[in-house]
Amino acid sequence: MTPPRLPFSRQPLRHVQDRLATGLITAGGIGVLLAILAISVFLIWETLPLLAIGDTFSLAKLSPLAWGTLKAALAAMLFATPIALGAAMYSALFMSARLRSRLKPTLELMEAVPGVVIGFIAGLLLAPWVERHLASTLMMIIWLPLSAALAGYLWYRTAASVRQRLPLSWAGLWFVPWLAGMAVLAMWLAPIIEQHWLGGDLRRLLDQRYGLDYATRNALIVGIAMGFAVIPSIYSLAEDALADVPPTLMEGAQALGASRWQALWKVALPTAGPGVFSAVMIGAGRAVGETMIVLMASGNTALFSASPFEGLRSLSASIAIELPEASPGGMTYHLLILAALALFIFTFMVNTLAEIVRQHLRRRYQRLGSTL
Amino acid sequence: MHWQRAGFSNVGFSKIRLSKTGSSGLWPWLCAACVALSLLMLVSLLTLLAIRGLGHFWPASLEEVTLNSGDIVIGQPVRETALPNGAGTERLYFTGNQEVTGNNWQWIAIDEISQQSEPADLIRVARTPWGDFIGRLVAVESGELRLTQHAAWAFIHEALTLPVSQRPPGILLLATADGRTLRQPLASVTHFQSPNAMSWGQKTIAWGQRIWQFLSEGPRAANTGGGVWPAIFGTVLMVILMSVIVTPFGVLAAIYLNEIAHQNRLTRLVRISVRNLAGVPSIVYGVFGLGVFVYGIGGSIDSWFFSDKLPSPTFGTGGLLWASLTLALLTLPVVIVATEEGLARIPDAQREGAVALGATRLEMLTRVVLPMATPAMLTGVILAVARAAGEVAPLMLVGVAKLAPQMPVDGEFPYLHLERKFMHLGYHLFDTAFHGEDVQAAIPLVFATALLLVLIVLLLNLTAIFLRHYLRRQRGNEC
Amino acid sequence: MKRYPIRRLKKHRRVLSITGWLMAGWLLMAGNLAWGQPASVSGTLGAVGSDTMAGLVLRWGEALKARFPDINLQFQASGSASAPTALVAGTTRLGPMSRPMTETERQQFIVRYGYPPLELRVARDALVVVVHRHNPIDTLTLQQVDAIFSTSLACGAPQAIRRWSTLTSTTDWPYGRIALHGRNLASGTHGLFQARALCDGGFRLDISEHPGSSAVVAAVGESFNAMGYAGYNHLTPMVRALRLVDEHGDAVAPDERSIQQGNYPLSRDLYLYVNLPPNESLPSVEQAFLALIFSEEGQQIVRAAGFVPLPKHLRDAQRQHP
Repeated sequence: MTPPRLPFSRQPLRHVQDRLATGLITAGGIGVLLAILAISVFLIWETLPLLAIGDTFSLAKLSPLAWGTLKAALAAMLFATPIALGAAMYSALFMSARLRSRLKPTLELMEAVPGVVIGFIAGLLLAPWVERHLASTLMMIIWLPLSAALAGYLWYRTAASVRQRLPLSWAGLWFVPWLAGMAVLAMWLAPIIEQHWLGGDLRRLLDQRYGLDYATRNALIVGIAMGFAVIPSIYSLAEDALADVPPTLMEGAQALGASRWQALWKVALPTAGPGVFSAVMIGAGRAVGETMIVLMASGNTALFSASPFEGLRSLSASIAIELPEASPGGMTYHLLILAALALFIFTFMVNTLAEIVRQHLRRRYQRLGSTL
Repeated sequence: MHWQRAGFSNVGFSKIRLSKTGSSGLWPWLCAACVALSLLMLVSLLTLLAIRGLGHFWPASLEEVTLNSGDIVIGQPVRETALPNGAGTERLYFTGNQEVTGNNWQWIAIDEISQQSEPADLIRVARTPWGDFIGRLVAVESGELRLTQHAAWAFIHEALTLPVSQRPPGILLLATADGRTLRQPLASVTHFQSPNAMSWGQKTIAWGQRIWQFLSEGPRAANTGGGVWPAIFGTVLMVILMSVIVTPFGVLAAIYLNEIAHQNRLTRLVRISVRNLAGVPSIVYGVFGLGVFVYGIGGSIDSWFFSDKLPSPTFGTGGLLWASLTLALLTLPVVIVATEEGLARIPDAQREGAVALGATRLEMLTRVVLPMATPAMLTGVILAVARAAGEVAPLMLVGVAKLAPQMPVDGEFPYLHLERKFMHLGYHLFDTAFHGEDVQAAIPLVFATALLLVLIVLLLNLTAIFLRHYLRRQRGNEC
Repeated sequence: MKRYPIRRLKKHRRVLSITGWLMAGWLLMAGNLAWGQPASVSGTLGAVGSDTMAGLVLRWGEALKARFPDINLQFQASGSASAPTALVAGTTRLGPMSRPMTETERQQFIVRYGYPPLELRVARDALVVVVHRHNPIDTLTLQQVDAIFSTSLACGAPQAIRRWSTLTSTTDWPYGRIALHGRNLASGTHGLFQARALCDGGFRLDISEHPGSSAVVAAVGESFNAMGYAGYNHLTPMVRALRLVDEHGDAVAPDERSIQQGNYPLSRDLYLYVNLPPNESLPSVEQAFLALIFSEEGQQIVRAAGFVPLPKHLRDAQRQHP
């Protein structure tokens, strides 16, 4: 049977249309891709004049900014990584499926809170509050994890009926009031502890005994605020990686007598390790480039200081406040574009690394899935 | 052997039962606490924004305070803080009347207060250009007429419903707390209220009205008062323009990458770099926009087409077009990735079937592939919109203005003014909080703006999530 | 008083089409009565420059818009240093600055256009040194200010002051190091403070540089051991401005009278730079704007925005200028 043939005269038109459309799509597609790649070309092109000048002094001006960027990112990661990974492990392996389907999108919504809102809260509310209640803040950082462990301990000690009503798989939810209560407790206890053991005022103690300076807007604040902003991206990717571990592996481990936590620690984490790593890398990339939070919460002091209580100044914040004033073609202009280039290269490399690792992981899962 | 294994597995089984409660230890609890902590932070942030943002519009009652020294202060209590060295607390009052006292605020130590009351005849009048008046109404003079008490109130309330140009001529005689009188022309009054005399119902209505004013009016008195309508409009318009630009190009690039280009090492490389560009900081895009769009292309356009207007720039300065283009570039990877995912999910059998029936590639794409991938594209575009609506850093470089009271769209040819600067909610927030005159007075407005911005962005994200959810469910039925 | 000639704009007459009528109807419905006014001023008023003057420029713009509803005001406030840049790059014709142009900036402008920019003084302002409202310190000498904020000690102070104990006798409070707050490099406030209070010396590196004066004031107001400098109009109830010792040895508080007469050591003029080619007149919008600034109403707005009006003789002298 021959396929039905269209009238001869219409066929060339269709093929011409097809050729034309294919050509257009190809041209458009390549054009868009080139436009995206033009960013790197532009950045490199605009920094070339700096090479011609060969002025190492002005490059030295960027080094405290680079340090500040890394310090801010480090602070954020120190705050965000444990929380995000902990949350990912819990929600991938311990949480009830019903809760998980609600909670995961909610936590991912955190990512949608604009940086400028977080920065405003951090700079104008959180920073003065932490300054007035430094002892309470530090105590909370220590006390909250302990109180979670305490809750777990108490849970094992209570009657089975209570345990059934407050199961571990829903702990992510019913822990919220518990933690809120514990935070209030810490705030109430901290001044008393400060009074009795720390000589009345923690900041005076830090200043007099250790010579530690305290700036209102400092790396601690930036860490908390930017940590809040990067938690969801780390959490979401790490959770995906952990939840995608072939269930046969976990079941096998548990069948061999491992506890759920042991199975997670010894089997799931090593398997999903690359995915978790790439999640952390992507979080770091975001922390390095975040602008508004650092601009509003960091104090913008170009210092080489490792103290978490001192301010910092980042590349991105400098670009945001100084580039509109820099005359195009001037020294500052090229320097700030160099700063942008540095940010671009850093984040691009970090993301590429994460992406390669993730693809590697995907192939590994496919292999595991097919052999088991 | 067989029995032994069975026995072993029995032991293992009981161990697992035990371990679920016992030997997992406290670690899972710590992990649960991480989830709870994240939730707690999110919830407290949103609650804080909601309370401070919406609370600002509630008609706050005014207090009349007599001090130990005999002075009388009338004002709205704003906050209380502890005095240093444990010497009690002090309270901040918003007292208004800037042109009389030179100051809008007064701190009063709680210990100094001898008497405190909320008389029903206290009023609060919003005026231009001097801001709020707080005190008492003595009388209203309108031509020969002199009204007092209820007649005066009725007269004012009626006059204020009219636009400024149609109001009857009138002068309010106002008395401050320390007995000085002021003559205030009715034309410069924007708002008149006696919060202490209002019932809960009236307050709720006034609250709703003020929220509506905030959403629908332009800023007054250099962004320290009034509403955010131009900023909402600017944000939405910019985002719409951006999606008009980004959707076709993003889809085109995705179709090219997934359907037309040969799948080889180069395509993979391109795909990875596109994915990575989503992680490049937004400020870098801003730098690109400033250097290429504003200074490069905009400058050239000006020298070619608008040279008669130079040195006043037309396109050679940040504006709506450049901002939309920059954000389109910024969100292009998001759209490409989402569309590609949608395209990749379509089984090859569909394409092969179409081609086998004699369709050309164009027909296969437009009749079979694209309709199936539409929801994915839509998700991508909504995610792009959500990301763009919250971005501020690149806009600081390519075109937001502190105040651009005239909209980029108006009745003047060519109706849509792409070269104009525009206001943006996020930048408005940053600006009011960090550049405003009296930051103490501006903070409540900043909270309200922040709440609005967060709500808009959350709403867009929720739409994307539900769309994706719906899509997956549908696809689950199909495949 | 010489009045600025207002150039009449010819209205396009092709609006007598159907769309035009519809549009006119719509505009009338919107209450836009300016449609029929023959001599209205319209156009875009763009300005780039000092964020200190943002509130002032915006209020002037509002007042102007109240008179001529067709005016479109666009103002970008990112610091005084952005004004010369924008003027030279041609992105604006009006550059409000909270400090006079430096010689380099002026030369750049002349190189680009061949004539100097028109310099107008539009209001008086002052820089204030602020502390927390309960801080016991009341008065500082300029040398002390320099010793606190700079590393160079160019004003002749014997040694740098880093701790509150050097300034006060109370050991109780405030204590520790003085936490310093200031503006970012691009702002005129930063430059002027450097020139006038630090005798052109260098700032300490550990000063927090905020992107706005209100951010400085907000930070100082919440922090017991902080000190900062900001514009006079940004004062809030949370902070207190210190008195400064002038060259006669008197402690002068920053108030309206002392600033207007220039007795307060850190008082300054606010400028507006205009790109005006010689023998040309400005577009009508800019002219109306300048006329408003030097009018009685314009100077009242100065006061409402928290600044200090010009002394009468200066105002009259400049009204003649262009």
